[in-house]
Amino acid sequence: MPPDSSAPSASSGEGPSRWRRPLLAVGGGLVVLLTGAALLSRGAGDGAEPARAAASKDGSQGTLSRGGGGGGSGGGSQEGAEADAAPRRFESGTCWRDLERFNEQVTLGTFREWAAPLLASRDGVVRAYLKERLTELIGNDAGRAQEVLGWARDAQGKEFQVFLSALRDSEAVQQPQVAAKLLASGLDATLEPGRRAGMLSALDTQKRLEPAALDTLANFAKDPGSGEAGWAATRSLARVMKKDFAQSGNAAPYLDKLLTIGTDSPDENIRYLAQSMPMHAAPVLDAASTERYSRILTSEGNEDGRDAAAHNLSLSQDKAKVLELFAQTFPREPSVCVRWALFRFSARVAGQEALPVMAKMAASDPRFQPQYRVFEQLYASGVLDFMRVWNSLPDQDPFGCMDKHD
Amino acid sequence: MTRMSSFRMSAWGWLAFALVPLIPLPSVAEGAAAAPVLQGETCSVPGLMDQIRRGLASKSPAYQRYLRALLREAAVTLPGAELQAAFERETDPVMAEHLAAALVARSEREADREAMQVVAKRALEDRDPAVRSATVRAMRRTGALEKTGDLYERLMRDASPEVRMEAATNLVEDNKFVYAGQHGPATDTAVAAAAASSDPKATAKILGTLNTEKLGAEAAGTLQGLLRSDSAEVRRSAALALGGVPAEQMGTAREALVSLYRGERDTGVRKALVQGIAQLGFASAVPELQRLKGIDPGMAPEIDAWIRALETGLQEWELILREKQRLQQAP
Repeated sequence: MPPDSSAPSASSGEGPSRWRRPLLAVGGGLVVLLTGAALLSRGAGDGAEPARAAASKDGSQGTLSRGGGGGGSGGGSQEGAEADAAPRRFESGTCWRDLERFNEQVTLGTFREWAAPLLASRDGVVRAYLKERLTELIGNDAGRAQEVLGWARDAQGKEFQVFLSALRDSEAVQQPQVAAKLLASGLDATLEPGRRAGMLSALDTQKRLEPAALDTLANFAKDPGSGEAGWAATRSLARVMKKDFAQSGNAAPYLDKLLTIGTDSPDENIRYLAQSMPMHAAPVLDAASTERYSRILTSEGNEDGRDAAAHNLSLSQDKAKVLELFAQTFPREPSVCVRWALFRFSARVAGQEALPVMAKMAASDPRFQPQYRVFEQLYASGVLDFMRVWNSLPDQDPFGCMDKHD
Repeated sequence: MTRMSSFRMSAWGWLAFALVPLIPLPSVAEGAAAAPVLQGETCSVPGLMDQIRRGLASKSPAYQRYLRALLREAAVTLPGAELQAAFERETDPVMAEHLAAALVARSEREADREAMQVVAKRALEDRDPAVRSATVRAMRRTGALEKTGDLYERLMRDASPEVRMEAATNLVEDNKFVYAGQHGPATDTAVAAAAASSDPKATAKILGTLNTEKLGAEAAGTLQGLLRSDSAEVRRSAALALGGVPAEQMGTAREALVSLYRGERDTGVRKALVQGIAQLGFASAVPELQRLKGIDPGMAPEIDAWIRALETGLQEWELILREKQRLQQAP
């Protein structure tokens, strides 16, 4: 299933809350990823179960952690974390008479007609099956993949989702000619924006993006008219970055494009997505990327973008420079939420060596004094890992910043 | 379809399509086969069992996954007694696993609190090790370990190595995917089972990747005891597990690992000891690691890689691990 059916709704009113939603929706598990505490499971083919325990302080079974900015390198559990956090389903299953024959006899030629009554139902289990069965029918055949892509040009509703989800997960989508056709379709201005967004979203399973495709996606995403399709292009670019970085250790080409989008796009939603998504891959920033994120931190009008910049900067190679930047920026920063980011991510920059900087922040803004005492006590107890510090905080959202995203 | 008037006003991407009303589709079917008559109906235990039994012969993994998901979905509304009776009658391991998973799903959703006990009993007592293994698998990635007392310690003493490894896999995956390493009792259960095992492979499987961030003090003592195991793979996994213990146990763990390093001869264990020491100290472990280089010059490249990773100043263990791997792979 293409992730992010929870992509941001633009139907709500104007104002910050409208664009704050995207980051929380992006990847579904971003909040979870960042806390590193409430990883949602993804069964290997079986139904997913929600994580039982989160950062409950007493170690007893707890509820999912609400935190959303503790950093998090995304270690071994990342895939599960960023995976779709499907809600548990409690309704009974429906048994479909003749589904066995459907399964045995369906072909690519009959799939669309035969699957229609199932797709018209509200049965999510059978819909998941149809998606997987279509992926099997496509296999590694580029011709079949392109045929399904052709269907997606006029398919509606759940049918559209199933077609593109199946294509996205197929082996054939990795073939250059299929990926190129998918990209071209996503850029086809004759199609509706939402349809293009769906097609560009289906690119997110690519193992890598070649320079030409990266250029195309980035140029499109930062175009003032790219809209929701540009948003989807940005997200796919970032998701491929995460995979490619895990495999090759090199995020630079992607990060360069995301920072360009994050700086140049006139659309705040897209800009913010580009600024924030690198935190999933958690690359260590070189001097050039540190400089570009520093400019975002000090000049971006969107406070969530500044928050994202602080998050990413906490993994800069130049720790002294970033710590100094955070110290200087803190008193000038008007948003308490961004100040909270600067404060806590100082600890991610330098651990307990950041305490003097954090103490100065707390001295200049007394609201941070209780937070400072907590960090000081945790480091004094011997905790070293920033994720453990984060998981040990009695309140991960002391200024109600997460509430704004709900 | 509804054409979206603007980016601002439209719902986004996939959500947009999910909300668009369905429109009847033209037929594009080809070929001679008549379309199946697909009618939804209420599931029954015998009907589902027949469908699953036939589905086992299907060449489509998607269909097999569907049947498994369907049974779990339907489990809550299927008659519990009928489901339990079918499970107790079933001797085919694959079918038993499906039925056990349905009973576990009922227990998880609190439709039938006792269903888990029925499954656990069979996991311990069935004569066929393949059925015991299958039943253990049915409890994977659930909350079974909270409801089954000392089940896992007993499973670790099962005569069948297959059953022991399935149980070990449950403990690994439950701790990782269900509890995210944040539920101390689950961690302690895993350590207790690892210690109860006389199968080094099962013990190593449990401890090798266990997140011990919420480990209890007693379990930490158990882990230290395992450092004295005759089995190198047990010592290695215990060293890795000790690297992640809570702050209040870090000092003791570090001493134990350093002490063992001096007398250890197995290279794999030594590498694990160094990793554990690195995790327990981050950058402050560097002087200790420098000292350990003198004990075994053959370990110098490994220790140097850890020192370089720690000296990056990264503040998260996962990032340090990633950095160490990257440094070692760099040309």
